[in-house]
Amino acid sequence: MNQLPLQGIRVLDLSWIIAGPTATRFLASMGAEVIKVGSARRPDPSTRGPAFQAYNQSKLYASLNLSKPEGLELVKLLLAISDVVIENFAAGVIERLGLGYDVVRAARPDIIMVASSGTGHFGPHTDYVAYGSLLQHYTGWNSISGHPNREPVTGGLWADPWVGMELAMVTVASLNNRVLTGEGQYVDFSMAEALSACLPEAVLDYQMNDRVKDPMGNRDDWYAPHGVYHCFGSDRWVAIAVTNGSEWAALCGLIGRSDLTSNSKYATAEGRRQFQDELGTAITEWTMQHEDIEAMRLLQQAGVPAGPSQDILRVFQEPQLSEAGYFNRVKTRDGEERDLPGLPWRFEGTQAPILTEAPVLGEHNDYIYGGLLGLSQGVVAQMVEEQIIY
Amino acid sequence: MTPKGLLPGVRVLDVGQGISGPYCAKILAQMGAEVIKVEPPAGDSARRMGPFPSDLPHTEKSGLFLALNANKYGVTLDLSSPEGAESFRKLAATADIVIENPPPISLEELGLGYESLQQINPGLILTSITPFGRRGPYKDFKATDLILYHMSGHAHGLLGAVKDPDKDPPIRAGGHQAEFVGGLAAATATMMALYGKQMKGQGSQINVSSFEAMVTQLISGLANSAWGRPAPPRDLAMVEEAAIGGMVGAIGGILPCNDGYVAISPREDAQWERWLVVMGNPTWSTDDRYSTRDARQKNSPSLWKLLSDWSINYSKHEIARLGQEQRVPCFPVNTVLDLMSDEHLAHREFFVEMDHPEAGTLKYPGAAYKLSNSDLPLTARPAPLLGQHNQEILEV
Repeated sequence: MNQLPLQGIRVLDLSWIIAGPTATRFLASMGAEVIKVGSARRPDPSTRGPAFQAYNQSKLYASLNLSKPEGLELVKLLLAISDVVIENFAAGVIERLGLGYDVVRAARPDIIMVASSGTGHFGPHTDYVAYGSLLQHYTGWNSISGHPNREPVTGGLWADPWVGMELAMVTVASLNNRVLTGEGQYVDFSMAEALSACLPEAVLDYQMNDRVKDPMGNRDDWYAPHGVYHCFGSDRWVAIAVTNGSEWAALCGLIGRSDLTSNSKYATAEGRRQFQDELGTAITEWTMQHEDIEAMRLLQQAGVPAGPSQDILRVFQEPQLSEAGYFNRVKTRDGEERDLPGLPWRFEGTQAPILTEAPVLGEHNDYIYGGLLGLSQGVVAQMVEEQIIY
Repeated sequence: MTPKGLLPGVRVLDVGQGISGPYCAKILAQMGAEVIKVEPPAGDSARRMGPFPSDLPHTEKSGLFLALNANKYGVTLDLSSPEGAESFRKLAATADIVIENPPPISLEELGLGYESLQQINPGLILTSITPFGRRGPYKDFKATDLILYHMSGHAHGLLGAVKDPDKDPPIRAGGHQAEFVGGLAAATATMMALYGKQMKGQGSQINVSSFEAMVTQLISGLANSAWGRPAPPRDLAMVEEAAIGGMVGAIGGILPCNDGYVAISPREDAQWERWLVVMGNPTWSTDDRYSTRDARQKNSPSLWKLLSDWSINYSKHEIARLGQEQRVPCFPVNTVLDLMSDEHLAHREFFVEMDHPEAGTLKYPGAAYKLSNSDLPLTARPAPLLGQHNQEILEV
């Protein structure tokens, strides 16, 4: 059986809220020793509530007050024994704290320092203050979503989780480079660019056709029918995407409307796009008679891509996730058994990922300050007293 | 000279089609790996997806294909023929990583699965991306971006609150985000496996579920569910009721402008004070309904009306600039046109230009990261023509 691939890596995690902690969660789950550093002086804003539990699974948690000079010295000791340091403060903050790349590199020459901010660490708008929800608007991401001629969509949690995964990816890419070259790296990461990078179709359509495309709800440029259809029950919908002629024939057969298959109007995707409203009426007559899960099963059995539109609680209860081994059941510190979220990949023949409960601030102080740094109990107690370890 | 990137000497075979597999391989290519795209003789299905110049489909001019496959080499092989399979085995013997995203057909079904390839290359990493992974009741179900976006819980929250949930269904985001996230998850896992291979010599067989990749974007919601919290409602009346009960999160949203919209979120007290400066300290700001963070959250519908009456007199860029001058989180709601003329992105050289023999000179979105000790080969070569490197790579 293979070991987890990141065993032996140590990550000093100075990040907070969502994106940075999400990145280090991936690293910790796959074997890295992640030391999250925080302080009661300025707690991680996500600490309240269950979200913190998800973002910080599988980590160690040290309390450390960066506003004290002695706190800074402690961080440097931790940097010296770390392979990676990651931070997601607003641009410029880490330098003002006295932990710029030059300082970090002096503590550990081959360290990989990953710095993530809203708009990156150089350029005219470097110091713009940002939240992920706003960056979704700034980056054009929301401009391609929604309905034509309606105000822009206001929901969607995309920027921070996406960036979290991409930060983990670029961190491990840099670790791979260190194996090849022996060199560390400073990674200047822009959350905004991460989102804009995933809109190539809109960017190229604009150049090719001088077109700023309207959003199209659930519809698609190519496939039709393509949408969600009301099922039995309140606010219950099944998503259906017909991607070729055989799926179209299968759909018509299933809903008892084989007459539509033989109608030349609907023979091509272009025709079906043009008459999508009337096709929607025909499909809905059938979907209204079925619960969404049942509609999915019948459609999938017939070979048509389909699935229910679900809220997060139904996703949590999804048998596909539990039976595919996505969750990890853990007895949390309040004594309850809970299914904690897992990882979207399986390394076959490899030991299971580490998916434990999130720590509380200072939980691992003894191990980190005593075990790793070798400080005596007396010194640690003194630093606690002076609110350095705090 | 072409920059080396982070992964010089790493060889990848990209057997993927469409988006998720090719996007995974694109990430490896822009990190400096040598990526050989292996297409069926008819070409990757993305060659048949738009946008196209003048909306005329053309094998060499799909904007999606060009963007996803830049910096790769391209060969064509019929993997269902004995000769094609043999050529593939020869290539796989020299590769560090193979990436596939069945359907339509998996390497396993072609007799080229992990066990077979491992015999000729024990340290190989095989990354397979499928809609639902290789386990569970839906493992053979079909899915597209639309299906994955809705099933994973994202569509439920995207639109925001609606007056009548039975008439206004949940919607997906534009631009195939579920397929991109499947590809990013695969690239992340593959980078980890590559590290394990470099350090310990171990090969890996990785199965990625695009559905789980989408679900993993919402781990905060899963944790809420695990701790017994209800799902957030879509119904506007219920959302407003929740706001009055103090159940909503941070204040924020969009405001109408004379040329579009601006997005703001002055959620902290200090940010709100500075936002009032931007608005010229309106008289209503001392009203009890708006004077504290809690009160603003509870009264956000009427507050938003007051803000909108003010914002409509200005342009989105004007408000964004004034807001940021006061350090209020505040951005214009941009279109791709705004992006392509954005001075900050231009300064950071985010868009990269490449000349393609059929599609011409175009700008592509680049990478979200700059590295101190490595230049990334973002413009090493435009996407390959169908079979462009057959001679050079297959006939050696």
